[in-house]
This record gives sequence, C-alpha cells and structure tokens, in this order.
Amino acid sequence: MNRVRRRNESAWLIPKGDERTNHRLRADMRRFEDADEVDVAVVGCGAGGGVLTQRLARAGWKVVAFDAGPFWDPDADWVSDEAGSHHLYWTEPRVIGGDDPVPLGNNNSGRGVGGSMVHFAGYAPRFHPSDFRTYSTDGVGFDWPICYDDLEPYYRQMEEELPVAGQRWPWGKPHSYPHSPHPLGVDGELFLLGCQRLGIDARVGPVAITNGRFGNRPHCIYRGFCLQGCKVNAKASPLITHVPDALAHGAEIRPNSFVSRVAIGEDGRAAGVVYWKDGKERFQRARAVAVAGYSIETPRLLLNSACERFPDGLCNDHDLVGRFVMVQGAAQTAGRFEHEVRMYKTPPPGVSTEAFYETDETRGAKRGFSIQTVAPLPIAWAEHVASEGHWGHVLREYMKDYIHWASLGVLCEFLPLAHNRVVLADETDRHGLPVAKFLYSQCDNDKALMKAGTQAMKEILAAAEADDTVTINRYAHLVGGCRMSADERSGVVDHTLRTFAVPNLYITDGSVLPTQGAANPALTIMALAARAADHLIATGGRS
Amino acid sequence: MSVDPDLAHPAGRPRYPGYNVLDQARHWDDVTKGVVLGRLGPPPPIRFFSPDEEAIVRPLVDRLLGMDEEPRVPVVEMLDAQLTERIGPGYRHDDMPDDWDAWKKSLKALDDESRHVYAAGFADLTPGQQRDILQKVQDTDGDWRGLPAAKLWTLWMRSVCQHFYAHPWAWNEIGFGGPAYPRGYKDHTLKSSREPWEVAEVDAFDPEPWAQRVEKAKRRQQ
Repeated sequence: MNRVRRRNESAWLIPKGDERTNHRLRADMRRFEDADEVDVAVVGCGAGGGVLTQRLARAGWKVVAFDAGPFWDPDADWVSDEAGSHHLYWTEPRVIGGDDPVPLGNNNSGRGVGGSMVHFAGYAPRFHPSDFRTYSTDGVGFDWPICYDDLEPYYRQMEEELPVAGQRWPWGKPHSYPHSPHPLGVDGELFLLGCQRLGIDARVGPVAITNGRFGNRPHCIYRGFCLQGCKVNAKASPLITHVPDALAHGAEIRPNSFVSRVAIGEDGRAAGVVYWKDGKERFQRARAVAVAGYSIETPRLLLNSACERFPDGLCNDHDLVGRFVMVQGAAQTAGRFEHEVRMYKTPPPGVSTEAFYETDETRGAKRGFSIQTVAPLPIAWAEHVASEGHWGHVLREYMKDYIHWASLGVLCEFLPLAHNRVVLADETDRHGLPVAKFLYSQCDNDKALMKAGTQAMKEILAAAEADDTVTINRYAHLVGGCRMSADERSGVVDHTLRTFAVPNLYITDGSVLPTQGAANPALTIMALAARAADHLIATGGRS
Repeated sequence: MSVDPDLAHPAGRPRYPGYNVLDQARHWDDVTKGVVLGRLGPPPPIRFFSPDEEAIVRPLVDRLLGMDEEPRVPVVEMLDAQLTERIGPGYRHDDMPDDWDAWKKSLKALDDESRHVYAAGFADLTPGQQRDILQKVQDTDGDWRGLPAAKLWTLWMRSVCQHFYAHPWAWNEIGFGGPAYPRGYKDHTLKSSREPWEVAEVDAFDPEPWAQRVEKAKRRQQ
C-alpha cells in the first residue's frame, strides 16, 4: 500500500467506473445519538472541518461533523451549467456594508459537505515563509505564532492527498508537486507567452486536480466547469478527499443540520452544540467542539453563543471575534485576441505567477500579489462586460465576441484591519437568529496593490498581443475573523487552534488566519487543520 | 434629435450561422440535460410582478439586453420565478432593500421618472426614450429616487444577464460550447481551438471601437 493511501484511503474508497459516490459507505455510516457524548462535534464540513474529521476518526476518536447543507452526490446534485449551480452557494440572508462592501454568495461562500471547495477553482498554492512574519519584516499585518517550517510537512501531506498538479515551484520555499502539470487552454498559453516576452517567470499550476488516475478518481476531462462542482471527481474537495476515509473510520457526517449555538457548561467548558434539523432544535453532547464554519458563519456562531460567562459573545472578552476579516483584491482583466481563445475549455485554473508576491517598494505598497488564469463562463463574463458600463446592443456585441477573450485574475494581499469585521445584524434568519453583517473598507496600501496588479495584468496581455482589455474590480476568498496569535489579547486561538477562553473549544477553519498572503487559502486551511489534529491526537485533547 | 445610434447596431447578424448547441444535448448527462432543456419549456405564469409592474419590467429588460424582437429569451418570466421563490444572491447591501423589494421599488421609480420627464408612463415611451431614462440612471452618482444608483444598476444587470446567458439561444449567439459532461473538450490549444462540432464565426470584429462610438453618441443626446 502506498504512503498516501496508508494515511488517507479516500481516493480508493470512491467507486471505480461511472458512479461518483460510494453509496454503500454512506448507508453503513455510524450514527451517534444526541445523548452520546462524542469526542468532538465538528461544525462545518469544508476544508478545515473535513480534514479534522478524517484525521481524528482515523485516530479512533468519535466524531460527528455537522453541515448546514446537503451531503452532495456529484452524479445527482451537480450540473454542467452555471445558472443551475446556485444551490452550491450559501444564500441565507446576510448584510454587507462599509466603504467597499464585499459580495458574498457565489463569490466566496459554500454550503454542503465539501464546503466552498466544491465550487473553488482548484488553485492550491502554499503561502510563502514571509507570510508568517509580515509585521516583523514589513511593518504591516501581523506575525503568526508559527512559522512556515511548522506548516511545511502538512503542506506536503495535503498536496499528496488532494493531489496537487504543477511544475516545480520556484517561489517562497521552492518545492515540487506530486502530479505533473496539466495541459493548458489557449488562455494559459497566452499568459505564458506574455510573461515570457516580459521576462516574468510563470508556471503551470498548482491545481488540486488529478493528472492521471489517483486511487479510483479519474483523470480530468478538461470541460471547464470547475466552479460548478466537479462531476468527474477530478477536482479535489473534502467530499472526496477526506470524507470517505472519515466514514470508513467511524465518523458520522450529519448533513442538513444547522448549528445555532455552542453550549457552555457551568465549568466554563463546551458541553456540546445546539442544532436545527428537520425543523427541530436538538442538542448533541460532546467532549470537545471544533468550529469550522468559515470567516462569516464562525464569528456569527460565536457571537450568537453569548451566555452568562461570555455576555459579548463566546471567546470575545477582548473584542476580537469577527475582527480582521480579509478578502483578497481580485480584479480580473481580460484581453481580446484576433484569433480564437474559447476560454471556457480546460479548467479555469491553469497558470500562475508569484513573481510579484513579495514587497517591492517601487509599487508604493507593502506586500504583493499573484496573477492567475481565471476563464469565466458566459454569465460571469457578462458581469465583466456589464461592469465596464456596457448594456443593450453593445453588451450583446461584446458577448458575441466571447471566444476571442482570455482573462487573468490578480490576488492582492489586502491587509488585516480591525474595522473589517463581522457583527450581528438587526435582522434574523428563519430560525430567529441574528444574521451576519460584514463590514469592509480598503486601506491605501490595498488600493495601491490593486492598481499595480491590474497594471501588471494589462502589460502581460499586451505583450501577448491583446488589442483591447476590460477590467472588473472584485474580491476573492475570505479569511480571518478569529485569528491565531501568541496571546489572548491579540487573538482568539493559539497555535494549536484552541481558543484561549474555552479549553475544549477549537476553531479549525480559515477564520484563524492572521494574514492571507497572495495565495488562494484552501491548502493552508487544510494544512492548519491537519496540524491541529496532530496536536489533539498527541495530547488526547486534554487541557 | 439626431438619429438613434442603436438603430445601426449589428446585433441582428448571427456570428455563428447554423450553430446549435442543442444538437449536442444527446451527449450531456441526464441531470444537466434536465436543467438546461427545462429552460426551453413553457415558462411559469407571472406571479411576482403586478400587471402594472409587468408593463414596466418588460421594456426595461428588453432595453437592458437589446432584445427588440421575437423570439425573446423569457428573461422576465425567469426573473419573476426567481423573485417569487425569494432566491437571493446570498447578501444584501445595508443601504439597499432585499432584491425582491428593490425590483418593485425600482420599477415604480422608473415610472415616476418617466412621468416627470415625458408626462407618460415608462411602458408608453418609445425605445429611444426608455434608453435615455436608463442612461440617466447609469450616469447618476449616488442616490436616484431613493435608491443608490450604482447598486441598482448592478442589480438590474446582474439579474437580467444571469437569466439571458443561461439560455441555449444565447449560447448559440455567442458560440459557447455549453455543457460538457461526460464528454469533455479535446480541442483547446492555439493550434486547434474548435471541436469538430463547433462552428467558425463570420464577420468577426472587435466590439471596442464601435461600442465607444455608440456609447458616446447616447450620452451626447442627453
């Protein structure tokens, strides 16, 4: 048995042949009673919660992972269609505000087992060593309580388990990938050409899409619908990379179960979770609780879990829950080429450059950005065209020209700022619970980076001989909101992701990130969850 | 009044003559086929918009999408169904109502504006007059009749594009290959970018210079 399979057998538990879901495994799933005291109740089964559940189940822990959404079956539930994929997104009510409000929903919020990774593009880069100490080296952001080397072994594990395909990576701490780079679409070829002519290093990858068979997961078929949920089982999400192994080791996945409160006992420890299922409010006892609902719902859950001991919200003695939420500045610039491009073919994630990742004072800003191929499908592309102000017949003519355009996206490292936060709104959801309000405003450094990033994309497209460009200003990803730190006065969790305030409460999702780098966050979230699991297993969760 | 610049639009000319993405439907998986082909069936009756609102939203959608003649993609019906079912985008701006209320409010505002400028309801204006009113909304900074103009414009465009470009007729118009499971794509390189069943375009042209002329002319007429 190979090394990866010994650690995580998920890819071998998926059926061979044309069926994408192991229905037997799900039917035979162990089921706990509410009155059973499980070892851990995990809230949210995405990048963080999925990995944690698998690791702990494999170590023999009794785990229930709750998810507010469905337990997806790619065959029956997902389609090769943009408009038909709206059910993949978290569309419960939320409010946005601030000077630069960030749209949620399809842009950054998932629901169901697999979380946002079900509809993420598939980019799985590592952070750079510099990301862990931006305050010390650049005077901005925050220093993590761990360094790159602490996370490196977990990066490698996750790259093997997803698995990640790409060329040898020269940036950050150089490393290679387990699967070789995928063939490119025309947009990827043009990106490489533009970079080559400008002397910018660009590489194919890193994408969490199988290139070759991996266990029983098949090869990618280059259909381009990665953001609509991969019907092929080629693109990674915890639904196929970690949940099957968790089930095989006795974990329960409890779908369509919305956790509304973490209950704190008189001893100040978490006693379990209150959740809604089938219209009934229920309570699951647990020896420990791990919250993994991502940067909007995790703070909301803690704030909605206020109790006598924590009148301002769970773990919020220092007014840090919900603060320092970050999004990356993710403008997309598309170029028009005389020849056909047809960017809808092949996965949108293809080529990246991290040549602009580190601080370069000539940009007038600290930290940096990455550039990647993005390849919007028609509805998303119409949003690009409309954002330039086109409508009516002009919009239609632009859209007819779709096959001539190649689109790039930038990921700018926007800084963690205390005023960018999740609070509770006045309005309530159908359970009567206050919904999240997400306030966001950029700082000058953010704006300068976005400008520099957009300019760099225009130059690359021009070097590849694009005759026109259109740009849409947008955001991507969410991290922060319950950041990790060395002490409770500056963060919500410690380096093992345990909350400072409640000894058996953990936060194992993207909300613990103190800074975000210019990298897509999924791999880092998974690596942090795997590391936290190792600490839990080593200590037996004792505190 | 000068000549309506939109009259010269080339939108009526097909760019991919003979291309029909539905010819490929037999290669799509059943679930996708069900969802996509469902858009070709009879649309549900109007339930969300009142008759007065329907009379305003129909020309609004036609102008925003440049739909001048039959057969029309049933965008109004698709939008009405979405608003009836309260399917939202997953967020609301703190200075905007929910999408369903924003739509109703904006239709009333359009009609009020129209009566103020032309002494006639929006539904009774010529397409050119309707476009002039919409141009003013698009060019407004800040508040427009009680709604933040830029966010309202984004809501309108996001909503109508989401339905129009979900329809196979629109895919034919733009040469999009459509669903591709379980078959996938195999011609995706500079040397060979077109599947055997995809159609080469005719009369390709860069829309940018033409678009600039049209949009400048529209604003000059204001």
